[in-house]
Order: sequence, then C-alpha cells, then structure tokens
Amino acid sequence: MYFAGIDVGSTMTKAVLTNEGGELLSAVKGPTGPEHRRLANEVMRGALEQAGLQIDDISYIVATGYGRVNVPFADRQVTELSCHARGVFSLFPGVKTAIDIGGQDVKCMKINGGRLIGFVMNDKCAAGTGRFLEATAATLGIRLEDMGDIASKATKRVQISNLCTIFAQQEVVALLSRGEPLENIVAGLHIALASRVAALAQRLVIEPDLALTGGVAMNTGMVRAMRESLGRDVLVPEEPLLTGALGAAIIANEAYREAAEDGTLPTGTRRLEEATFFAEEDL
Amino acid sequence: MSDQSSGLSKAQEIYSNRSRRARELKAEGRKLIGYPCVYVPVEMLTALDLIPYRACGDIREPVTEADRALPGSFCAVMRSCLDCALKGKNDFLDGMVAIHSSDPQEKTARVWESYTDHPYFHFIDMPVTVRPEAVEYFTSQLDDFRKTLEAFAGRELSADRLKQAIDYHNRQRGLVRQLYDLTKTSPPAISGTEILQVVKAVMGLPVAEGNDLLTEVIGEARDRTDRPEKKPARLLLWGSTLDDADVMQVFEAKANVVLDDSCGGVRAYRADVKLTGNPLVDLARYYLNEITCARTFRQASPGETSKEYTKDLQSRFGYLDDIIREWNINGAIMLLVRYCDPFAFEMPALKDYFESLGLPSTYIEYDYTTGALAPLRTRVEAFLETIA
Repeated sequence: MYFAGIDVGSTMTKAVLTNEGGELLSAVKGPTGPEHRRLANEVMRGALEQAGLQIDDISYIVATGYGRVNVPFADRQVTELSCHARGVFSLFPGVKTAIDIGGQDVKCMKINGGRLIGFVMNDKCAAGTGRFLEATAATLGIRLEDMGDIASKATKRVQISNLCTIFAQQEVVALLSRGEPLENIVAGLHIALASRVAALAQRLVIEPDLALTGGVAMNTGMVRAMRESLGRDVLVPEEPLLTGALGAAIIANEAYREAAEDGTLPTGTRRLEEATFFAEEDL
Repeated sequence: MSDQSSGLSKAQEIYSNRSRRARELKAEGRKLIGYPCVYVPVEMLTALDLIPYRACGDIREPVTEADRALPGSFCAVMRSCLDCALKGKNDFLDGMVAIHSSDPQEKTARVWESYTDHPYFHFIDMPVTVRPEAVEYFTSQLDDFRKTLEAFAGRELSADRLKQAIDYHNRQRGLVRQLYDLTKTSPPAISGTEILQVVKAVMGLPVAEGNDLLTEVIGEARDRTDRPEKKPARLLLWGSTLDDADVMQVFEAKANVVLDDSCGGVRAYRADVKLTGNPLVDLARYYLNEITCARTFRQASPGETSKEYTKDLQSRFGYLDDIIREWNINGAIMLLVRYCDPFAFEMPALKDYFESLGLPSTYIEYDYTTGALAPLRTRVEAFLETIA
C-alpha cells in the first residue's frame, strides 16, 4: 500500500510518496503558479513516476498548504500546521517546538508526540517571511539561494531597522548608495528577519528540541541567524521544504487505517488527469 | 429556508441589503440616527421616535476615502465604517451618535462630523471604569445627549416615554437571548451564521419591527426540520467585531459557533436594563456595568487587582464560565480585528482564564477585508485539529 502527501504552498508545491512502513519512496518539488490544481497535478505525476507507481496504486492522499482545497484528487485536507508538526516529529522524535518559514507565512508550532498542540502565525503582514528575503534579494540583484553564502563573508552586520518588506527595500537602496558592502547588508537582513521570527516564536513557550523548516531553512545564513536570535540550537532537516508533504503522507497512512476500521474508505477511481482541464469560467 | 416569507429568509434579505429597508423607512417620513457601537443608548433614540441604525463597515469595500483622514494602522472596523459613510452609503441617515468606547472611535467620529453633513451629530464621552463616580459622570453625559436630541427632535424626552422604550429594548434583549437558547442543543436549531444575520438585520430596524422579526425567527427555528449540520466542535467566539456572515462561515465550515460574544452577537443583549427610578441613571448603570467589552476596566475590588489575579480574572470573565457550561462549549476563539488594542490587551488574561477552566483556546487576528478569509481559514482549521 502507498500513501501520498501533497503540500501546495504559496511559492512551492511539494509531493511525497511513502509505503505502508512510512518509508520515503519519492519526493518532488515544483513552483506553485496561479493555477494550483494543474501544478499540483504535475508535481504528483512527477512523484509517481519517480516511484514507478500509478495514481491507482495510492491508497490515500492528504492535501495540505494554502492551496489544499484546490487538489481535486485528495481524499482529505489537513492544515499545513498539523502536517508540519507530524512531518517534523517523524524526522526528530524529540521535537517540541518547530518554526516553519515559508513564502508568505511564518508558523511557530508546539508539538506533543507528533500532534499540534498550539501555534502562532504572523498576523500583521509578510514582514517575517521568505518574501522579505525574496524582495530584498531582487533589490540587491542577487539570487535568493546565494544569500546565505554572501552573508557569511560579512565583516560586520548592518542594522536594518525596517521590518516592513517594502521599506526595507528602500533602506537597502539607501545603504547601497552609502557604499555599504553587499555582504554586510545581506547579513543585516538575515538578522532582521530572524529577530522578527524569534519575537513571534517567543509568544509560545519554546521547548527543545527546536526545529526550523520551510524554504527559508535551506538558507544557511538564516539558520545561523535563527540560532543567534533564539540563543539556542536549531535542528534543520535535510529537506526542510518537504516536512509538510511528508507529514501529510504520514497522516494519509493513519487516516487510511481509521477509514478502513470505520468502513469509510474512499471509493471510486482517482483521476489525476481530471485537474488538467479547466473550463474557461474556472480560470 | 426556501420559503421566501419565512422570518429567517426575511432576516437574511434585510442583512444582505440593510440600507434598502432603511431607505423605505426614510421614504415613509421616519428619521434614522446612525450609531457605530453597542454602547450608544438606543433607548433614547427610540423614545423620540428616531430609528437607531447600527452603522457598519463592509469587508467587501476596499478602504480608499477614509485614508484621507485616518492612518492605515488604525482600527480596521472604524476605517471601513468611515469609508462607507464618506462614500455616501449611509446618506439616508439624519444624524449620527458616537461614543468614546475607544480612542479610534472618537477620532473617527470627529472626522465623520466634519466630513459628512447629517443634520444631527452628537458625541458621548464615556468613562472606562465602573466605579460610582463613573456612573455619575456618564449620567451627566447622557443628560447632555438628551438635550441635543430633544432640540433635534423638537420635543421633550419624558421619563415615561424613556421607560417605555427601555421596555421595548429589554424585550428585544430577551428575544435575542431566546435565539441563543436555540443553540444549546446539538445540533443547534439555528446556526451562528444565521444568528449573525438576524441580529445585524435587527440592528437596522425600529425596535418593534425587530422584535416581530425575532419572534418569527424563533418560532420558525424551533420547529424546523432542516437544522444546521452537527459539527465536531462547539465554539465560543469572543472578540471585538464580527459582523459579516462570510467571516462567520469560515468558523462554521467545520464547527458550530454556538455563542458569539462579540458586538455583532450577544454582547448588547446579555442583560436587561433594570428600572429603579431615574431611567437615565438606570441606562448609565446598565451600559457601564452590564456590557462586557474589553474597553471597560473591571476591578475585582478597587486596589486589589495586583494582589489577587484569579479574583480579578473571575470578575472580568466569570460570565464566560456560565456560558461555557450552559452551551457545552469545547473550544474558544479570541477573535480580534486588526489593531484593536483594548481586546489585544485583554487577551492574555482571558487566555489564562480559559486555561484555568481547562478550555482550549486560540487567538486570531484578522484584517477587516475579504482577503483575510483564506488565512483565517487555515488558523481556524488548525485550531480545530488541535482539539479534535
């Protein structure tokens, strides 16, 4: 038996396939575009190909992420908070707190035995999210994925006082015109973002182990900055982008067992192709 | 529900186009006075044959005009409310009464006064404590209000007429409480979304007409066969303003909202005005003491709060304990409209109180726009997953 989790995030769509024993069979990432459903479909097809499976081989699919309602071939929708909690727990069984920094959300989660027991999210704006780095990287004319390396060469960290993404861009322009070295500005941006996220996380009682996930955790500069801002160690999975989809696949496995016991298993054939056709009025 | 003549569908129709009925009343020669907050003593308007009309914002209307006068980091409800006014959406109003329930409301009221041309405007100052001196001061403020209102209406506001109006509004309070009694069953006989629509409709109608509508809805909901679906959670909503059915539906997609302690819900109806003598004093006492909004500070007893936190919590939130038991509630959502400081300050203490009762709760802040619905859905569903 096989299970799938698909996480349609604001920036990236991720799909994970596992077998009955929870072993990872394939994982595929692709950008999320304006047409969630079409891309969810393609990412899922990629994951199936990688595992050498057909859609009919999958016993249960859980969709998560902000586009979860747009996945027509999913059996159940679960929020990304519960899925991240479960996914992180499967990688780090000692995890009690997790911070996921995504494209437009920051989620700080309290976890007990893989279950989400509390959370806080950014409410005011996108200031503490991956969008902050994306936007400022664009202003600086550098690639997002190079930011961590650039920051590591800094001789000092410039103070970035604006947490508003738009105003921070202006501030960066002003710093550049003052002749501030690029690496010092980039290091300052990391600390600005990390301290914002840390302040949010501290609305919860942070207990170790603490894990950092989401696309932003792929940036080594951010991991360093988060360790510094929180004053504690941070665990980072090898694939920090996949924890939501992984958690969704694990929940799919459990949901399947529950449904089998209750006699409420999904019936009918799944049609992955279905989503590739859009009626004009749907667009 | 498909029956067009039913009370519920009538209420839903008024809810979705409140100004239509208001304009009809205006065409009949009635006078309507707007008020933005449940602290305005509507009885005084009713007593002079003026129709109290709760002026609301609109989450579907992007705020543009109000930005001329108010900053962006400002009570989102007041910004939207003013924006609608400046766009002429309330142009049927003959006047406006605002009250110092919060600083943003006072600022908004002053802008409203300068930028609109209603024939009548009055601003009531209101203390933020419930001490005897506060009742005395608030009574004098209500007396000032009486004077300008009498001048506008061209007649005297007699004690007898005021008592009669209080009686009508007390009846309305009783009827809204009956409406909420219908959610004590599982599944509830009426949904939180339906109640919101009915209450918001009633807040734009003459009191007698509102009472008739409520009576009709209660009778209908009691006997209905098509009850709302039973959901796994029975939620208490506590917060500042919730006045839009689409927002309520985000909560009700996967839960039953059985009690809404916001100013679009039960807040203005939980208790009756008790008549003891001078009706103006009775009104002052009622509005200060009986409406439990975060804008009013309630001490356990003067000078003791810092010493006995639990006693303080009990004094501020004890009424919720009864509600939680009576309505068999298993989760609470503290819902704030963005930049609502009074409620944000109240939240940590209330969270402690819910914890002391063993009730799971979460705090959600939302923007007063339709764009807020998707992030709101994720937060609500995640909370429901934690209590499932």
